[in-house]
Amino acid sequence: MKTKLTLSKEYIKGLWENNPVFKQVLGMCPALAVTVSALNGIAMALATTFVLVFSSLIISTFRKLIPSQVRIAAYILIIATFVTLVDLIMKAQFPSLSKELGPYIPLIVVNCLILGRQEAFSSKNTVFRSVVDALGMGTGFLIALFVLGGIREILGSRTILGLQVLPDFYEPWLIMILPAGAFLTLGFLMGFLNTYTERKKRLEREAILKKHIKPISDTPINTVEA
Amino acid sequence: MKLLVHMLATLTIIGILSGGLLSEVSKWAKPKIALHRKAETEKAIFLVQPDAKSQKKIETVDFEIYRVFDENNDPIGYALPYEGNGFQGNIRLMVGVKNDLKEIVGLQVLEQTETPGLGTKVTEEPFTNQFVKLVAEPNVGWVKGAPPKKTNEVQTITGATISSKAIVDIVNGGLQKLRDVKNSGVEL
Amino acid sequence: MELILIFFSAAIVNNFVLAYFLGICPFIGVSGKISSAFSMGLATTFVMVITSIVTWLIYHLILVPNGLEFLQYVSFILVIASLVQFVEMFIKKVSQPLYRALGIFLPLITTNCAILGLALFIVLKEYTFIQGIVYGVGAGAGFTLAITIMAGIREELDLADVPKPFKGAPITLLVAGILALAFMGFAGLISV
Repeated sequence: MKTKLTLSKEYIKGLWENNPVFKQVLGMCPALAVTVSALNGIAMALATTFVLVFSSLIISTFRKLIPSQVRIAAYILIIATFVTLVDLIMKAQFPSLSKELGPYIPLIVVNCLILGRQEAFSSKNTVFRSVVDALGMGTGFLIALFVLGGIREILGSRTILGLQVLPDFYEPWLIMILPAGAFLTLGFLMGFLNTYTERKKRLEREAILKKHIKPISDTPINTVEA
Repeated sequence: MKLLVHMLATLTIIGILSGGLLSEVSKWAKPKIALHRKAETEKAIFLVQPDAKSQKKIETVDFEIYRVFDENNDPIGYALPYEGNGFQGNIRLMVGVKNDLKEIVGLQVLEQTETPGLGTKVTEEPFTNQFVKLVAEPNVGWVKGAPPKKTNEVQTITGATISSKAIVDIVNGGLQKLRDVKNSGVEL
Repeated sequence: MELILIFFSAAIVNNFVLAYFLGICPFIGVSGKISSAFSMGLATTFVMVITSIVTWLIYHLILVPNGLEFLQYVSFILVIASLVQFVEMFIKKVSQPLYRALGIFLPLITTNCAILGLALFIVLKEYTFIQGIVYGVGAGAGFTLAITIMAGIREELDLADVPKPFKGAPITLLVAGILALAFMGFAGLISV
């Protein structure tokens, strides 16, 4: 970290600026696989956040005791332990949800988002800061999965969280709940988000240009692309 | 040398802690998971055998099958879980038959990975209800695009012919296995 | 016959990348050029086959007899991580050209969910030892196929006028979506 961010900024950066799915393109497997409905997306994101937060907590606490040569192995061990924990709890308390998410719960172990945060953040920062960062990333993941699952559920089965929102005459787009729909939705979503951010950036740049370059005459000048 | 000991010690300690924690949690979770699985099977059995009041697993054979009883504790039939290939992956279903194996009482699809919206229609009532009171001898047949004329036929779903046929095949396979076991003299 | 079915089911009908979404990270990251994509596919296939052998043995000879199934994920991922390391050292010793071709991709494979996914699916589907190996080969072949096709398309895409915001990951995902649609045509090919 070059400059220390305030804690709230540490949290917020995960929501949008460094959103794990839309911006960092991490954790794609679960983002695509389980988002046939908004509820599945939420459940998956919560399970991932749980693992992320607790792994960050443990790893940042003991970061000085883990020799750097075996750190990856140690991280993976800790992450796999928490994933097994989540898996057992879900199987015992929420059997139907666990059945729906199937093998994608154990696959949280290899979600690059979790290992990536440990390597890039928890191993270098204080406990509190790491947990805040993990919570932020988890929330960002939740937002991404909810949006993706929501869009696919509305267009693919007319419902959101099980409630019907589109009228009966609307024929559901089956493709949205097929694998192909996952790729297409995320592709378009990322493309449109990029369009939006770039437009915003350009407008900001133009505003700065206008502020600093005073027009000499009354005739407006054409702003130049930097 | 010191580093090596440190490395090994770190991993060993993590391993022991993780193993200990998980074995405790798994002790707590295991009975619950088993209970859910049992409840799920039981629910499916009573769905395919609506007249049944109790059920018992048959232990004399090497596959899963349940004997079901009515309110007088008289055996009225069997509930058989069976699986086979579907359109894209495995289909697992439960079929209920009468004592003489000649008539199907009900059908329930337990697990499938068919195409959403098309193949998944085989799990819905318009299709599964066709199996209620269906004659199962010599086997179950299917017709395409028209209502069935014979008492042992079902109509396949438009756009999901392969999935429908797969269900019929799995039912036939299961019943055949049951007949073979019964003909070989094993008490069911 | 059944083995052939398992192979084609894993390679084409239920392609790991396009139907199960396993191994998306390398699929998007390393699909820029055909040559490197193909090498990545081969390296992954190699690790997949060894993984299916080793994890099957561990699960059925160590975990199940001792009632330790709950250690499944922990032991599998450790085995995969050390396996990748071992394979890397082995290739480096045995063949320098092969190491130069595959070397840089091997560390990436540890966090490739396709490998752990494969180990989990073999347990879930209750495959025998031989079936597990064939499944591993099929999954690897499917991954290689998908990533190589993708790289071929992306090499052409470089010449196309893609809108700037869609460059990179978004257009790759859109192409993957169309590929997934094409692969749907294989469904039903081998069953019934």
